[in-house]
Amino acid sequence: MGLSELLGTYGDKYLQGLLATWSMTVVSFVFVMALAVVVTVARVSPYRPLRVAGDLYVQVFRNIPGVALLIIIAYALPELRIVLDWRTCVIVTTILLGSAFGSENFMSGINTIGVGQIEAARSLGLTFTQIIRKIVVPQALRTTVLPMTNLLIAVMLTTALGSQVPLNPQELTGVVSYVNTRATGGILVFLVSALCYVGTGFVISFVGNRIDRRVRILR
Amino acid sequence: MSSTRTLSMRDALYEAPGPRTRRRVRIGTAISAVVVLLAIAAVVRQFWVTGQLAPRYWSFFLQWTTWRFLGQGLLGTVAVALTAGAIALVLGLLLMLGRTSGVRPLAALCRVVTDFFRGVPSLLLIYFFFFVPAQLGLKLPAFWMLTLPVALAASGVLAEVFRAGVNAVPRGQVEAALSIGLNRGKTMRKIVLPQAVRYVIPSLIAQLVVVVKDTTVAYVVSYPDLMQNARVLITSYDALVSLYLVIAVIYILINYAINKASVYVANKTGVRIVR
Amino acid sequence: MSQEHAGEKNVPVIELRHVDKHYGDLHVLRDVSLSVARGEVVVIIGPSGSGKSTLCRTINRLETIDSGEILIEGEPLPQEGRELARMRSELGMVFQQFNLFAHMSVLDNVTLGPREVLGQQKEEAERYALELLGRVGVAEQAHKVPAQLSGGQQQRAAIARSLAMRPKAMLFDEPTSALDPEMINEVLDVMVELARGGMTMIVVTHEMGFARRVADRVVFMADGQIVEEGVPDAFFDHPKSQRARDFLDSIKGH
Repeated sequence: MGLSELLGTYGDKYLQGLLATWSMTVVSFVFVMALAVVVTVARVSPYRPLRVAGDLYVQVFRNIPGVALLIIIAYALPELRIVLDWRTCVIVTTILLGSAFGSENFMSGINTIGVGQIEAARSLGLTFTQIIRKIVVPQALRTTVLPMTNLLIAVMLTTALGSQVPLNPQELTGVVSYVNTRATGGILVFLVSALCYVGTGFVISFVGNRIDRRVRILR
Repeated sequence: MSSTRTLSMRDALYEAPGPRTRRRVRIGTAISAVVVLLAIAAVVRQFWVTGQLAPRYWSFFLQWTTWRFLGQGLLGTVAVALTAGAIALVLGLLLMLGRTSGVRPLAALCRVVTDFFRGVPSLLLIYFFFFVPAQLGLKLPAFWMLTLPVALAASGVLAEVFRAGVNAVPRGQVEAALSIGLNRGKTMRKIVLPQAVRYVIPSLIAQLVVVVKDTTVAYVVSYPDLMQNARVLITSYDALVSLYLVIAVIYILINYAINKASVYVANKTGVRIVR
Repeated sequence: MSQEHAGEKNVPVIELRHVDKHYGDLHVLRDVSLSVARGEVVVIIGPSGSGKSTLCRTINRLETIDSGEILIEGEPLPQEGRELARMRSELGMVFQQFNLFAHMSVLDNVTLGPREVLGQQKEEAERYALELLGRVGVAEQAHKVPAQLSGGQQQRAAIARSLAMRPKAMLFDEPTSALDPEMINEVLDVMVELARGGMTMIVVTHEMGFARRVADRVVFMADGQIVEEGVPDAFFDHPKSQRARDFLDSIKGH
């Protein structure tokens, strides 16, 4: 099967797959960032139970395989009377995994600031809130642009977990297995989806690098 | 000299509390402890009301055969992870060497290959090895249908890890080597690589986590790893929730241990982690 | 105590009474009492690990103390909250590592305190900031970020940042120890100017020339204690204690 035949027959599927991957990526990433902020706040709070819970959250979702988490959410939660539709299952899985890594990024962003600057701010008479607002958050955000760009790409790749549940429409990886069970397209079937992933990733990191170059903090 | 300098940054955000702050922290700690406990209680309650705490879902974990079967699966996981890791190590090193070789076409090719394997989901690679060799009439054993894609996915990342290591070797080292008359290849082999590898050993170990995670889709190719064997047990004991949770905990502990090992090695060798 | 240096007011600007501090088993400050009058320049010297840096940092509570009292213009140093922040805003602090805010221009570094803490308008804060930056000789660098400046320039900008708060006193914690030799004097010159202008200063330093030239009083510390203090000439030419003699001998080699 040639490229034109493949795209002629399954072009719509691929396009829908690309859009499904994109939309799940965007929705997931928004929540990944929000949840990463919440988890990070808990981890740097002065309250030990919150710190422990935050650290535990990160260790669990950093180390659990995506497939295992998806299966638990998609198949074990219903037995606990928590039923989510398939797409939500994939997105929730991606959010839980991504937010753990997002929080790690924020933590290392905070760690690059250095005690000295905090002490200097204190000496000027800035209050805790002012220090967080004027010194910690701006620096943490600006140093995490590149790691978060990479996380966005990782989130996109994680949405390929969608191929493990019956999604409609399917995302890019699901489309490949769908086409393969109907036709023998060989390498080409994979290449179309692969190029969609690689191309999207390329655009994301191009934009990320541009932003990083504008906001990077010289040290 | 000062104690604050040995504290982690998240502690450094707070200064030594005065009496008022100490009281406020104590109250906050109490409230947050209650919140966390309530959350745990809610989870346990949900298990209770849905009957998931019934002994029949948990009693078979007391049987030796359960653990032997899961252990066999774990061996399968380890075999795939280590083989894939070893292949990825070699391939990643070759890709990096090619990319930094200075030979234009080779460098470009290695760059494209590296970016490709890093840029696609490992699931896509696994489907590739599941479908394509069969279509070409090639009968690949399940072990390799799983190991090869996992290895390829990791090799792209490892190539970048190695490259970061090479870049971390001080420029003066290369200049010194060239100045005593070593050629490019020898400089790379004798001076740069040994140092670069030392820098990245912690990252290489940490990368094993990704490999272990990728092996969990073994069921796609029906390879008996930990996850696949758990699925077999689920059908025989009809105990989905308990088994998946236990399996998840096992994976988490394995990967946690790998991460800890990575940090331990980094601290022990005094190497800053290069990613 | 050298109360004779106190000006018309006899309440010391900074006073420590019987201050003790431990780090675990280490007794870093032992019954330290020190009083600094308005306009007085006190230079603290001593071997490393003698507690002189810690002493300096306790004065605006970057380090806490176990017992004793610290008074600023007769008021006890608050332990927390807005009261502490206000008290700190009245004491300038200059660090060994400069500690400029890495993500801000030099100008923004200097105006941050006045705008956030003193509630000054942007124009007002910038006008005074530029004047100060001019005075310390880095006005041309005002719109650069710290990493683009030399160490000496960064430290002078850091001094301007503290001065922008119009502090009652300035604390210098080894301000030249992290500098390349050729930059030390440009920073010391700024400090000499400040001292001549009547600023109350506590300076922890290894620069004996500076101490001799500028100090009203030299305080020698060892093992967390004030071993000896006196006017510079008397101290440097005729140290009374064996510890001080040993210390001065050990650094004479340079």
